[in-house]
Amino acid sequence: MATYILRRLLIAVPLVFGVLTLTFFIIRLAPGDPAAFFIQPGISPNVAEQIRQQYGLNDPLPVQYVKWLGNVLHGDFGRSFSRAQQPVLDVISEALPVTMTIAVLTLVANFVFGIVIGVISAVRQNGFLDRFLTVTALFFYSMPEFWFALMMIILFALKLPLFPVSGLNEVGAESYGPFGFFLDRIWHLALPVTVLSINGAAGIARYVRGSMLEVVRQDYIRTARAKGLSERVVIMKHALRNAMLPVVTLMGSSLPFIFSGALFIEVIFAFPGMGRVTVEAIFARDYPLIIANTFVSGTLIVLGNLLADVLYAVVDPRIKL
Amino acid sequence: MKPNKLRLFCSLLFLLATVGMLSSCGKPKGGQKLSGSARDTTLVVAMLGDADYLNPVIGSSVTSANISGLIYPSLLQSEFDTSTGLLNYLALEKSLRPVTNAEGARSPRGALAKSWSMAPDHRSITYILRSDARWEDGKPIVAGDFKFAYRMYGNPVIASPRQQYLAELLGAEKGAVDFDRAIETPNDTTLVFRFYKPVPEHLALFHTSLTPLPGHVWKEVKPQEFRESRINMRPVGSGPYRLAGWSRQQEVTLSSNPSCVLPKPGNIRRIMFRVVPDYTVRLTQLQTGAVDVVENVKPEDFGAIRKANPAIEVRTVGLRVFDYVGWSNIDHDWYHKTGKIRPHPIFGSPAVRVALTHAIDRESIIDGYLGSYGTICNTDISPSLKWAYDDTIKPHGYDPALAAKMLEREGWIPGPDGIRQKDGRKFSFTLYTNAGNDRRNYACVVIQQNLREIGIDCRIEMQESNVFFENLQSRKLDAWMAGWSIGLEIDPLDVWGSDLDKSRFNFTGYRNPRIEQLSELAKSKMRIEDARPYWVEYQQILHRDQPVTFLYWIRETHGFNRRILGSVLNISGTFYNIDDWTLKPSANAVP
Repeated sequence: MATYILRRLLIAVPLVFGVLTLTFFIIRLAPGDPAAFFIQPGISPNVAEQIRQQYGLNDPLPVQYVKWLGNVLHGDFGRSFSRAQQPVLDVISEALPVTMTIAVLTLVANFVFGIVIGVISAVRQNGFLDRFLTVTALFFYSMPEFWFALMMIILFALKLPLFPVSGLNEVGAESYGPFGFFLDRIWHLALPVTVLSINGAAGIARYVRGSMLEVVRQDYIRTARAKGLSERVVIMKHALRNAMLPVVTLMGSSLPFIFSGALFIEVIFAFPGMGRVTVEAIFARDYPLIIANTFVSGTLIVLGNLLADVLYAVVDPRIKL
Repeated sequence: MKPNKLRLFCSLLFLLATVGMLSSCGKPKGGQKLSGSARDTTLVVAMLGDADYLNPVIGSSVTSANISGLIYPSLLQSEFDTSTGLLNYLALEKSLRPVTNAEGARSPRGALAKSWSMAPDHRSITYILRSDARWEDGKPIVAGDFKFAYRMYGNPVIASPRQQYLAELLGAEKGAVDFDRAIETPNDTTLVFRFYKPVPEHLALFHTSLTPLPGHVWKEVKPQEFRESRINMRPVGSGPYRLAGWSRQQEVTLSSNPSCVLPKPGNIRRIMFRVVPDYTVRLTQLQTGAVDVVENVKPEDFGAIRKANPAIEVRTVGLRVFDYVGWSNIDHDWYHKTGKIRPHPIFGSPAVRVALTHAIDRESIIDGYLGSYGTICNTDISPSLKWAYDDTIKPHGYDPALAAKMLEREGWIPGPDGIRQKDGRKFSFTLYTNAGNDRRNYACVVIQQNLREIGIDCRIEMQESNVFFENLQSRKLDAWMAGWSIGLEIDPLDVWGSDLDKSRFNFTGYRNPRIEQLSELAKSKMRIEDARPYWVEYQQILHRDQPVTFLYWIRETHGFNRRILGSVLNISGTFYNIDDWTLKPSANAVP
């Protein structure tokens, strides 16, 4: 397995590199100008030119590419155009903890609720509970997240003021002490995580239900029942384990989500996470930041896929890598 | 505990620890410890995006300017006289015009200058500075700090968006300001600016009152490292507030500066500018009381806000922003290909453009969207600038019959499909605008409807803002809807100048030498009031030629929590006198 992983990692290097090169050219060919903000009445026409000079955008494209390549090979992704010349890796490392907090909580909630609902639906197939859960899950699954988030805010923050509308902490939360600060943070995360996980859990529940239904029809389940095992043991030990196989691959593909952030949630709840960094960078034509983001998400997609494959082999001994 | 339960417990513990660790990574740095109810002594302002730099030389966003204005000292205080629309400048012992005693009049005690004198030939201005002003770190504020800052403003490597202010200084006529001669500091309290041409006093005051920087803090920083310097994150100022914490993309926290004598420490103990990107959420926060000020609230939401929370009031400022429909006056394709000018085949004739203005029901756009927060726009001189505004101009009213008659006189006759034609060309075009602006969207639809009624085919296309702006700049669009926010000094040459290569914002290609002449004549007057006749003629010409269809002026509207006392809003900004504001429950919490 180690050689397999190593081989996949080696293949990943030119792949990610190719993605970056493509991104480099595509964003420079897109209409728009990073210095466009400085083209306005009252600002000297020289400013945009000076800014372009500073950003190195006046060089011919191949020269820009070679310079960029040299820097990237030294691990320097440059400084952000739109965020006060902060090194782009600093920008990303500031946004990552916020995104990861939400994503980790969401993923856990997703899988816990998704699996529980999926199992109940499968066990009570075609019963009232199954239909109720299926309809509810589909209802939430098909709801646009941003709209759902706004409705939750109106309901739970405006009409019933139980949760804060947005932000990561209350005004003055620094004085609550570390535990108070932490609780305040969790209180602020409750609504966004609920929105994200209701949507995600609904999808996972459908997966688990389908996979469970397939498994419970297998002979070994009949055998387990015939042995006289209690229904709980049959479902939880024998069926669920096998039904989890396809779900495990879902975990691998969730990895990029952990780092790329959920744009709508970040915009609506005013979290300074990766989703906003990426989209704002694109709107501002902040080339170095766009490339660094592509690097992060590209690498994670590759790693996520690798992880999914490896996990598959780990949980299913029939698969050899 | 059974092993399974133990495992579950451990996993939960691990999860909590992870979340805790991650959460504390985002903990705001540098925030002060607060006692009592923090909210009572903290004003929270919602902002759309983060400040870029809290450095007056390079900060380019309005948010940055608002916050920098509270941190840094200023040479003069300026006040906007709403009865005339003129800016007044105040030093400690002198003012350009008599000081108004109206609401919100500024105290001259915030100014660093004691007085100034303009040379009789208007080629230099000399300021006498007060000697008791100090930077936050205790060092005195001296004339050299201004000279140092102006060198930064003028350095092309730093690329300050304010370098235009230096355009009249000695040497600027040759391309580079000669700082040694243009700015002299014979001693710590004397500051002299020299110009290469006579400059009217109000303009000299405007252009020489850029914010100073503490030279002793910045002197070691190389120009090429100026933008990326860490000092930008901990500005040293001397204004009513100082920076207490800055979590990027989250919030900027200012605390009242107890050592401030320019003019005094801010009344409110803390001001927090919080980034809330989504409009609906900003509004909800205003309603729940989580924030106190939200700028640019849309008129359609007023009713709901007032109903949800009677403690919210909507405040308005003067007319500074207008929307217009731009028409290509010249054939841009032909100009790009040959460099020669010929009128645009549809919009080239002033009579057609006037007809279009008559065809558009501007009143119904205003009634339908802006209500009492909009007013018809005739030209780009704002009714708020009363000293220059021509109130005798009669707007081109909505009159589709007259519009049709004018178009027929110009040869645009309805074709078999109902669309007007002339020489085989249909009166058909695409109206472009930027996506995501509800107001423009609404106006576009009304305009499309209005034009269809008189046999004009108008299609609407929304473009992403960057793309739209680039197309506009490269003069690729025949018709578009956009807006302008005007400056407080009238300077229209960028928009109407005849030299299309120089006038970057002349998107229409309108050319009229008299307009340029009038602008030059007006600017050459040493007393601003003497320029009125030129601006009146300027407005009459624009009204007659309709290079664009001016639609409406927008009264910007801001949501305020009523617990804020003493705020005065006017055209020069929402946070005009924020250091004088107090908060109701803690009005006595002045440090």
